[in-house]
Amino acid sequence: MTRGLWDREMVAMLLLLALMPMALTWLWFGGAEAVGRLLFVLLISGLWHVIFMLARAQPPSFAGALTGLAVAMLAPQELSLLQLVLGISFGSVMAELIFGGWGRNVLNPATVTIAFLGFGFPAAPWPDFALPVAWAAIPALALGMLLGVMSARLIAGALAVILIAWLADLPIAPVLPAFGVVLALLVTDPVTSASTRTGGWLNGALYGALVTLFAFGWGHGAPVQVAVSAALLASLAAPLLDEIAIALWTARRRRRHG
Amino acid sequence: MFGPAFSAGLVFPHDRVPLQSENPVEVLTEEAALTPSPGEELRVEALVGEDELVAQGQPLLRLRNAPQVALVAPMAGRIASLDLKSGRRLSQLLLFHEPDGGRHLFETGNAEVDGNALRALLQSSGLWRMFRSRPFGRMPHADEAPAAIFVMAVDSRPGAPAPSLALEGREEDFSRGLAALSQLTKDRLFLCEPAGKHFGGAVPAGLSRISCGRNHPQGLAGIQIHRHRPAAPEIRVWDIEAEDVADLGALLATGLLPGTRLVSVTGSALRERRLVRCQHGADLRGLSQPVVRPGAHEILSGSALDGRPAHWLGARDRQVTVSPRETGAVKHHWFGTALRKAARHLPVIPTAALDQAMGGDMPAAALLRAIASGDEETAVRLGALSLVEEDLALADYATGARPRLSKQLRIILNRIEAEEAPA
Repeated sequence: MTRGLWDREMVAMLLLLALMPMALTWLWFGGAEAVGRLLFVLLISGLWHVIFMLARAQPPSFAGALTGLAVAMLAPQELSLLQLVLGISFGSVMAELIFGGWGRNVLNPATVTIAFLGFGFPAAPWPDFALPVAWAAIPALALGMLLGVMSARLIAGALAVILIAWLADLPIAPVLPAFGVVLALLVTDPVTSASTRTGGWLNGALYGALVTLFAFGWGHGAPVQVAVSAALLASLAAPLLDEIAIALWTARRRRRHG
Repeated sequence: MFGPAFSAGLVFPHDRVPLQSENPVEVLTEEAALTPSPGEELRVEALVGEDELVAQGQPLLRLRNAPQVALVAPMAGRIASLDLKSGRRLSQLLLFHEPDGGRHLFETGNAEVDGNALRALLQSSGLWRMFRSRPFGRMPHADEAPAAIFVMAVDSRPGAPAPSLALEGREEDFSRGLAALSQLTKDRLFLCEPAGKHFGGAVPAGLSRISCGRNHPQGLAGIQIHRHRPAAPEIRVWDIEAEDVADLGALLATGLLPGTRLVSVTGSALRERRLVRCQHGADLRGLSQPVVRPGAHEILSGSALDGRPAHWLGARDRQVTVSPRETGAVKHHWFGTALRKAARHLPVIPTAALDQAMGGDMPAAALLRAIASGDEETAVRLGALSLVEEDLALADYATGARPRLSKQLRIILNRIEAEEAPA
């Protein structure tokens, strides 16, 4: 039987490919420290994947590299090794592996890891991006949309809300780089974002609205902290948004077809 | 949303096997057989004996639970064998071609204006089996009344013969068939056509015309039914191919059942593709043998997406796919094999490809998740009752899902059917 190419591992590789412009820019500006950090994160999360493969027969996924990249880029700086190990272990095990691996998880493991580290160790400073890294989020998002692995509606919804906020002169300029990077790394994850069409719009709009709200009302929030918190809440709401979209769809159908 | 110009669906790579000729050739294979479709149960009573000479169109079998429904001879010939399984369930009825058999003449009566007479004619001429009733996708019951009938003058499956080619020169028959069909449905008759290529002949009043997009799966009955008239246990929706409607028109006009249908023989194991007009239930080897490349191959009745390995052309199939058979086992590392055996199947990730493979306007990921997890209630709410296996074949192809989503849909449909059945 012939078959197409959109199986789980190919989607994970396409996502990795889409994120390459941003990842490479980040490595370029981060230098040896960034490379070391990425390798360390990949090592720890890879270790857990191997443990679950041997103990529970869960095939490891390239999506582990996506998680590793997001954690390396977004996790708070100056954490001790033990703290990092704790955070990564908690995130990949509790948010992904115990559900049965990538594709069956409810929350993005990277979002959980970063939120855990950020709120568990509040003294650690959040990272700041060189501006080119944030610019590189644009080709990353475009590639993701073009390859069909990121929801175009979600991205459009988020951008629309941010555009409105910007036109309304709200003070969102400082969070914009973090907004873009987190959108590409965490929010557009096809597994944990809304999967319906209307749901995609709502999910993106909710993320944009939360970023705007936090930028406006969260006095001491660092940009990355603001964006990651918005991503976490938006991803928690995604199933609800899907449910709303499906309820609207069935109501419309019932009206039309009786 | 944007009309047919931006048709949702997937584009397939261009077929590199050259087409023999734009004009179909008439081929009657030496053998032909009546066989049940996969999952179909036909409890039959024989009307003829083995070794008997029969005319093309002559009733050979009738259903035990509905004696008015007959299965007819696909060609003039001799009955070679009749194989029944336990409970008089049809396994296969094989015929040898013998042109001396002649053609069977049907008494059409006033079927053109009287719904009951039309129903009786359809059932006695074997055309009844060309209808597919949803939900569940089976031949309709003898006394079933459809809420809507979809006539499919479009087929977007890769390599499928264009229904417009099958209708060429038969416009009058098709118009007559459409007019007759409009007596059968109490609600609406739909005609699905490719965008920009409308049927020019006369159509009955009250017919709804649907322009279907260019890309697969827009030309599948299930996608259009899901969109325009969703089926439910009490809302039966039938679909039928345009060529069979033209056959009905010809039958009404002459009393003779047309003996051939347009079939495309495609696949990567061929030297060249060909279009043939052959009898129902034709021998697939006979159709493909002149053009097949040497080497091991397997023959599917149906397209490369939804076809099944078969010896005879399926009751509703209009395509034969010949693909090279994989020979020689691929060597896997023992650890990979062990892991694959022990692991659960990998989940399907919602992507744009999945959305497009389901036609683009239904909550595809939610529907497939419900089907994969056996959640009947959600699947029904999202319209699974309008679909059959062939409608999920493209999603299966695109995502490489294991177990196949179409099989899981059939499991759900069978379960719902068992629950709906009167005790």
